[in-house]
Amino acid sequence: MKLPLSWLKEFVPGDLDPGVLTERLSMAGLEVEAVERLKPAFSDVVVAKVLRVERHPNAERLSVCEVDGGGAGRLNVVCGAPNVRAGMTSALAVVGARLAAEKNAGDQACGPALEAAVIRGVRSEGMLCSERELGLFDDHRGIVALPDDAPVGQSLADYLELDDCVFDVAVTPNRGDCLSILGLAREVAALLGRKLSPARTKRIRSVKRAAENSIAPIAIEITAPDLCPRYAALPMAKIAISDSPLWLRRRLKACGMRPVNNVVDVTNYLMLEIGQPLHAFDLDRLRQHRVIVRRAGEDRELETLDHVKRPLLKDDLVIADGEGPVAIAGVMGGLTSEVDNSTTRILLESAFFDPPSVTRTSRRLGLVSEASYRFERGVDRQGQIAALYRAAQLLSEVARGCEAGAVIDVEPQPQPIRQVEFSTKLITGLLGAAIPAGEAARRLRALGIKVKRTGKDSLEAVIPSFRADLREGADLAEEVARLTGLADIPTLPCRPSAEVGGEDQRRELLRAIGERLSACGLSEIKSLAFTAPEENRTFGRLQGTGPVKVTNPLSAELSELRQSLICGLVAALRFNLRREAQACHLFELGKVFYREHDELREGLRVAALSYGELAFRGLGERGRRADLFTLKGMIEGCLDTLGLVDKAEFVRLPGELAPYLHPGTATDVRLKTGGLLGRLGELHPELALTLEVDYPVAVCELDVGELITYGSLRKPVAPPPRFPAVRRDLALLLDRDFPAAQVRSVIAQADASLLESVELFDVYEGGSLPAGKKSVAVTCRYRAKDRTLTDQEVNLLHATVTSFAIERLGAVPR
Amino acid sequence: MAELAQSASLEQIENVRVKVLGRGGELTELLRSMREVPAQERPAIGQLANQVKRDIEERIEVLKNELRRRALGESLARAPLDVTLPGVQFPRGHIHPLTQITERLLDIWAAMGFEVIPTPDIEDDFHNFGALNFPSDHPARDMQDTFFLGDGLLLRTHTSNGQIRVMERRQPPLAVVCPGACYRRDELSVRYSPMFSQIEGFAVDEFGKITMAHLKGALTEFLRAFFGPTSQVRFRASFFPFTEPSAEADVRCIFCAGTGCRVCKHSGWIEILGAGMIHPNVLRAVGYDPQRYSGFAFGMGVERLALIKLGVDDMRLFFENDLRFLTQF
Ligand SMILES: [Zn+2]
Repeated sequence: MKLPLSWLKEFVPGDLDPGVLTERLSMAGLEVEAVERLKPAFSDVVVAKVLRVERHPNAERLSVCEVDGGGAGRLNVVCGAPNVRAGMTSALAVVGARLAAEKNAGDQACGPALEAAVIRGVRSEGMLCSERELGLFDDHRGIVALPDDAPVGQSLADYLELDDCVFDVAVTPNRGDCLSILGLAREVAALLGRKLSPARTKRIRSVKRAAENSIAPIAIEITAPDLCPRYAALPMAKIAISDSPLWLRRRLKACGMRPVNNVVDVTNYLMLEIGQPLHAFDLDRLRQHRVIVRRAGEDRELETLDHVKRPLLKDDLVIADGEGPVAIAGVMGGLTSEVDNSTTRILLESAFFDPPSVTRTSRRLGLVSEASYRFERGVDRQGQIAALYRAAQLLSEVARGCEAGAVIDVEPQPQPIRQVEFSTKLITGLLGAAIPAGEAARRLRALGIKVKRTGKDSLEAVIPSFRADLREGADLAEEVARLTGLADIPTLPCRPSAEVGGEDQRRELLRAIGERLSACGLSEIKSLAFTAPEENRTFGRLQGTGPVKVTNPLSAELSELRQSLICGLVAALRFNLRREAQACHLFELGKVFYREHDELREGLRVAALSYGELAFRGLGERGRRADLFTLKGMIEGCLDTLGLVDKAEFVRLPGELAPYLHPGTATDVRLKTGGLLGRLGELHPELALTLEVDYPVAVCELDVGELITYGSLRKPVAPPPRFPAVRRDLALLLDRDFPAAQVRSVIAQADASLLESVELFDVYEGGSLPAGKKSVAVTCRYRAKDRTLTDQEVNLLHATVTSFAIERLGAVPR
Repeated sequence: MAELAQSASLEQIENVRVKVLGRGGELTELLRSMREVPAQERPAIGQLANQVKRDIEERIEVLKNELRRRALGESLARAPLDVTLPGVQFPRGHIHPLTQITERLLDIWAAMGFEVIPTPDIEDDFHNFGALNFPSDHPARDMQDTFFLGDGLLLRTHTSNGQIRVMERRQPPLAVVCPGACYRRDELSVRYSPMFSQIEGFAVDEFGKITMAHLKGALTEFLRAFFGPTSQVRFRASFFPFTEPSAEADVRCIFCAGTGCRVCKHSGWIEILGAGMIHPNVLRAVGYDPQRYSGFAFGMGVERLALIKLGVDDMRLFFENDLRFLTQF
């Protein structure tokens, strides 16, 4: 909401410092987002009266005028404007004046100083100016016409309040009452401890009553009282449509509104000033002279003022005449009943529309007007009639000769006065500040709230009709605190008595996963959760699940939620390869989303992508290139951190289950007890082709939920063994496809309690080996807790283990 | 001995040692064959054999030392390295700046006694809006343009759903922070992202035990822990549907120390977070009696704090994953 200082001063007279005002409003919850200084685009221009106009002796289109410039004296001025006439009040630039440069009307840059000149033989000691020459508006059809009562000799800048300051106040959605100069003035007065002056026009003029017969009776009916509890209207006759006076247009412009004509401008002016939106119908275009406030029902469409045909739903509130809708209530008027230059009689509407109804319709149509913006936030429930009187008053000023009929007021549902009882204990309990009842009452009264003491600590507040946001004690506590900018609330140490629950283990695990992966050289990325359907089809496929679709996505490429983090990693790889990257080692920890059995689910995952050389290389050396096994090593490290490395196994996965992986590398990471932890592999060559990569791209994704459920950072700690271990190697000839890890796990099952560990150390095929066979070599480590093992003991043990392995694996010893 | 004398390297010496003194070595075999020697001769021969063994061992030790000294000399005589050459590169990954900032924020709150609880991103209208006192068809909802998922579900627009989720299943006293991703329908730009992260926090106890004064205390402590112990903090009245009274907390601009600059829009203050006393309607929605319980809540945007802390001004940097940016952290 734009708040010009000059306008504010009509309600809060006296000195107002812009800096103080900005500070106080902002601290009280009405944040001043910007302060704009307005300056006139000219200097030395005064209000002047044209006394006499004569034809220029040597030029047909020019006039020679005698002008009274007040203190500037009586001057001879040559003028070319067609509208100049004796008796008119206008703007006179005296010698030395600077005017807005022609090109930048409205700009603050001033042109060269005006000099006295002889124009076609006649001396001109000044210049009567057009609005464009003054940088006010774009009108250059003639010279400025000011009202007759404009004080001759006064500086035009002062008269029009062009030296002004406009505050841009961010009004929160609960404060509909502050969407007006009056509402903000009420706040300012309360904040500064000033008195609020009653609303007034500059120039009060009595409104002429229209003769009974000059306005046909208007019938107003409300058939949707739930959506419109009050509808008031004022018919006016003998309206002459014209431009509004400059001062009025200037104020509209300062508040960011475009002047239209005197009738529309008055409705806008009052909306800005007191917050009540008004609408002017051309009375003679209201068929049957009837107004019905009703639901749209069967009516399907209305063409609004902006020449757009708007579809209507049956519950939209409309204003209809005898034949159909003429306005969408509170949102925008219809084209057929619009006020135009031929209008002579109008009906001014001043109503209270149900805020949610206006919000619904305005949102659906994507049409937010200054009026709907205010109706949505709630206008003064009792402000309708006063607004009509003010409008009549102002119209009689700007549309001379107009006459007003009688106000028609239909209020099927009067609003009961709301009273709120509250205690100072409530205020103290919420604020933590002891504010005495008397002080609380004083602050509330400053805001226009009537307050009665009903007991030692209890108060009763009568909520004014413009503060629909005040409903209970907590709201009043806020008002009390707000007025001093929360300054009386002390700062007390906060030590919650709540006991911390057990969920911090989770955070530790997550942190450990990230730290472990980054220690391996992977950098963490963050991708948006939105992705394209084809990405989900490629990376997301998990049996029995489907994608989560966004109903109102930003674009088709972002229309689903990711089912896998791998799409984000691949996108990041692509992004970085295009930006100088030779290698890319990334991970992400984040949520994925999927649909399962018609339920939307989310799960936390960690995924990694590793491409290109890994660090650990000296000058001129090549690092090891990432592949399945480098990434597997990182995963194993991660599982080790979580105490899961012995509980997990890596199992070959049929390629069709993970179509984004190279079928020869697709791997499931499983818990030995059953349950999938995640997937690992190298990217399918076809996908790699689209990335234009030269080496394998290893990717994996693990379910963090499972890692957290089964993992733990609390590992048992043991002292180092006191006696040495004895190692014995064992080489076995096996079928080529036999998984090496199984050799290890089978041998580990041998009935030998002193067998401490079995480590794979070589796998070899080809050479002298028979086709389809491979040699797998392991080291068996034997150790006793209480003594050094003798060779004989170990030989015996190893012989048992060897025969167990040969038998269970069907292998041939080498 | 002759073999020893010819040994030029430690390895050769070792070979000789094994050959003579090792298991199955010449001298070892000799000693083993002692059994065949008559008993009365054994001590003399044994003594002799041991003497020989000691001699050989001594000789080996001397030779070894000489060789080591020679090697030392050679090593010292070697040409000096170009020490300006780069060291060997080690792998190093980087934790995303947003994660680092989030962890820092959670550490502060955890140290103040707040429990960290995760909450869902996919929400229903009740937990994201209704229970938080956002009436339907109210412009307050415009502040948060929502992504819908159908079936009455949506992506949460703030982490405030955490308040409802936790209070629904737990009873006061509570002191909780809920970190997580939030979603609003904004294109990714310098200032906005359709996905961003927040931390919601709240504390509830018997009425009057937790007041606005404690909120001020908690937030001041937090802001000083994050921005430095001398940070100036101020509170302004504000509006959020789910708090009453509502406030916003500002910190003295860390870029201009309050004299006014572009970052603080020449106000000298930077807006950091929103907070307030939990609205009675929110307490009612989770079945708490507002006359019996009261509490405060606050919410902060992690990206905003990160931008301020890092002194960068482009939201996109956090989500486009340019390694040239990420590897600086
Ligand atoms: Zn600054």
